[in-house]
Amino acid sequence: MIELEMQNVSLGYNHSTVLQDITLKATPGELIGLIGPNGSGKSTIIKALSRVIQPLSGRILLDGKDVTRIPQRELARLVGVVPQMPLLPSTFTAFEIVLMGRNPHLGLLQAESQHDWAIAWQAMEKTATQSLASRRVDELSGGEIQCLLIARVLVQETKVILLDEPTANLDIGRQVEIFGLIKNLCVENNLTVLAALHDLNLAAQYCNRLFLINERRVYAEGTPAEVITERNIKEVYGAENCVYTHPINGLPTVLLSASQNKTN
Amino acid sequence: MSFNPVATEPIGAYFSGRRTRLYSILWLSIALVAVMLLATSIGSVHIPLLTTFRILLAKLPLLDIPQTWQSSIGTIVLEIRLPRVILAGLVGAALATAGATYQGLFRNPLADPYLIGVAQGASLGAVIGFLLPMTWHNLGFNIIPLLAFTGALVATAAVYGLARVGKSVPVTTLILAGVALGALLGSIVSYLIISSGEKMHGIIFWLMGSFSLSQWSEIGVVLPYVAVGTAFIIIFARVLNVMQLDEEQAQQLGVNVERLKLILLAAATLITAASVSFVGTIGFVGIITPHAVRLIWGADHRFLLPLSVLTGAIFMILADLVARTVLAPTEIPIGVITAICGAPFFLYLLRRRKKAIF
Amino acid sequence: MKSKLYWIYIICLVSAIALVFSASCASPTESTLTSPTEITDQLGRTVALDKPPQRIISLAPSNTEILYALGLADRVVAVTDYCNYPSEAEEKPTIGGFSTPSIEEIVALSPDLILATSIHETKIIPQLEGKGLTVLALNPKTIDSVLEAILLTGKVAGVEENAAELVDGMRQRIKAVTDRTTSLPPEQRPRVFYIVWHDPLKTAGSGTLQNELIQKAGGTNLARELADYANISLEVVVRDNPEVIIAGVGHGSGQDQTFQYAQAEPRLRDTDARRNSRLYAIDSDLTSRPGPRIVEGLEKLAQFIHPELFK
Repeated sequence: MIELEMQNVSLGYNHSTVLQDITLKATPGELIGLIGPNGSGKSTIIKALSRVIQPLSGRILLDGKDVTRIPQRELARLVGVVPQMPLLPSTFTAFEIVLMGRNPHLGLLQAESQHDWAIAWQAMEKTATQSLASRRVDELSGGEIQCLLIARVLVQETKVILLDEPTANLDIGRQVEIFGLIKNLCVENNLTVLAALHDLNLAAQYCNRLFLINERRVYAEGTPAEVITERNIKEVYGAENCVYTHPINGLPTVLLSASQNKTN
Repeated sequence: MSFNPVATEPIGAYFSGRRTRLYSILWLSIALVAVMLLATSIGSVHIPLLTTFRILLAKLPLLDIPQTWQSSIGTIVLEIRLPRVILAGLVGAALATAGATYQGLFRNPLADPYLIGVAQGASLGAVIGFLLPMTWHNLGFNIIPLLAFTGALVATAAVYGLARVGKSVPVTTLILAGVALGALLGSIVSYLIISSGEKMHGIIFWLMGSFSLSQWSEIGVVLPYVAVGTAFIIIFARVLNVMQLDEEQAQQLGVNVERLKLILLAAATLITAASVSFVGTIGFVGIITPHAVRLIWGADHRFLLPLSVLTGAIFMILADLVARTVLAPTEIPIGVITAICGAPFFLYLLRRRKKAIF
Repeated sequence: MKSKLYWIYIICLVSAIALVFSASCASPTESTLTSPTEITDQLGRTVALDKPPQRIISLAPSNTEILYALGLADRVVAVTDYCNYPSEAEEKPTIGGFSTPSIEEIVALSPDLILATSIHETKIIPQLEGKGLTVLALNPKTIDSVLEAILLTGKVAGVEENAAELVDGMRQRIKAVTDRTTSLPPEQRPRVFYIVWHDPLKTAGSGTLQNELIQKAGGTNLARELADYANISLEVVVRDNPEVIIAGVGHGSGQDQTFQYAQAEPRLRDTDARRNSRLYAIDSDLTSRPGPRIVEGLEKLAQFIHPELFK
């Protein structure tokens, strides 16, 4: 059970600040969603949380400990990341890629054991990627690769999972499958999960809390119902829309409308 | 664990794939010994095969083989041919390993051990050594390897320093800095060669690479560097696999990317510099051997590296054998032989449409 | 009138026949003086001069030595950078290197004769001739042709007597050596390994001056079956076990790398030459320069190879 916290963090690349004075907190058992327009800095937050980039100011705490103080390998055992559009070496098989998730648990001279293979195999079963195991990565589609990456993060057996657009290439059925899997794991194993999402409806359906990032700060935070409002969407995204209530579970549902004759 | 993962088909295949490659390492090791024996028995002076075997066996402890050969024949086998074959194997192994390491670190199929300035630095050091006034050459040892080694290390350190951005050394910057400094050093070398007058022939001969006059004393210097450097690199083999993902993912999987880059670059540069400083710059081995190994045995560095060691050694020994026998007693510069083998291989790689190999 | 014309006609005919006779008697490979103004040089080229040259440029160190030995020092206007013997020659203006002389500088000095070698045949000589200059090429490959080259130079410069004297003296010195060595049976001709360069290992085979000198000095050249300057494998040297090793060295400190190699190469330690310390260094100019000092080279080699015969 690990709490993830950002305290007054500013993030930037070279000379431009992407995010200023961000404060957010993710507690175990919660699926946190990061939403916001393109370039708002969602991926940047994920990179900062996994210590790929350093904050310009502020602190990032993992279970109360400053992230920069934690050694790389230990951090990898605590925090797993599903990146957005990563490069994968084309000559490895899907199984080998998933197996790389065991790296933080292996010593320098250690090879993967049957135990590691079993974990990888089971992760591939959960993500329905077992049939891809012997196929080379350059033969797989974008969606298949995304499921592989999820399998890989499962294999990493971390307490914190960060996801950057984990289902962008998946069809609607697979989206539900994968998100369902993630949500279950989050709740059952008390994981701390944070996902950057484009799809507002997915965010509404699965996330316990949302942070809406806009113009370098947290524009709004709270439950989906509190954050996904017509006014917020219009202000942040500039899109004409209607937010309805989902007929089955009462969560907000965003429907776009082509801006012709707007009827109120 | 009641579930046996090896029984499942893909994992079973994975497991047996690993076993096949382990056996390959064994067979290649035997092949290496055979090639070394072959190369030691062929030379300008005809020595019967059996005699060569007996001379070599006589050197093993516990075996008592009476000397039935002239001592000059023994000298030829043990002090001219054997050190030459061993040095060729060492250098071939070193260049192939360094090439595989550079290709893995830079994630680039065109990377070779000379990418970030080793060759040009060594050449410059050697040329300076050739051009120094003669009094410097009477120090009791050959200063050219020393200067070549120093040149190689200084050039690589300079490239590394130039490419540093804050705490990290981005791979593309490293390549660009290497190319730029390499071009600069190369032009200085060219100028020095042109103005070297009567020494030009000797310099060019050195630069093209040669194993002639290899001695045990040279092996004594090269072997420790190559052995230690290669051992270091192989230790990091599995991590090098993980590095094939981009640096961000590798970092997120627990790899200390900057430290790994430094260690592997240093080790690969060291083994390249040690080889080049005695033998000159031999091309193609470092770049095509890892590709050939990948084609046959795959990209897992835990096998790629040891197999590159063996394949590189075998290739170089055979290339040297060809270089010294085809036009005997004149020796073809070994760089020519490796290029003759390398160029068609590259074309073959280009024409392969079936699968990517990198 | 008719009778005068008739006699003129007869005289011309007779002179023509005489000329044809004398021309055909001359051997085609030797350089000849077909007329006071025409000479065939050692590249088979015909060179024409009106009078003895007064401004001579030498394009090779060997040519320079020949010119000085013939007493033509004051007629030499320029030499190459490498012309180091005699020492007076180093004070002459230079026109560049051995294979890279500067055409412009040569032309600027207005020479009436240029002494070249076979190296200059393809590029330099045509260029010089194109500028209207007179070039004589010397190309001696054997001791005999060195002597001929000296005689030829003497002829073209109008100092035939000096040349004849010089050549006679050289012949005597050569004879002093060969008288004692020609009759030696093979067992008494030690195996000699001559090192031209050590990396790669280069020696002098048949057709080179060194080979001839070794043979005349009473030795058996290890490389006699190789052609010209050839690479030799260390294996072959070890197998053939030379009794004498002679290293051709340069001038100045540290220029004796070949000699150091002969002393230091561990794989040669079991050869007769090393065991009996019969390692010698010789100024390579004495054995490779086709000039008057070739006899000095021969004498030194004889001393090295047969110390019991020559002191």
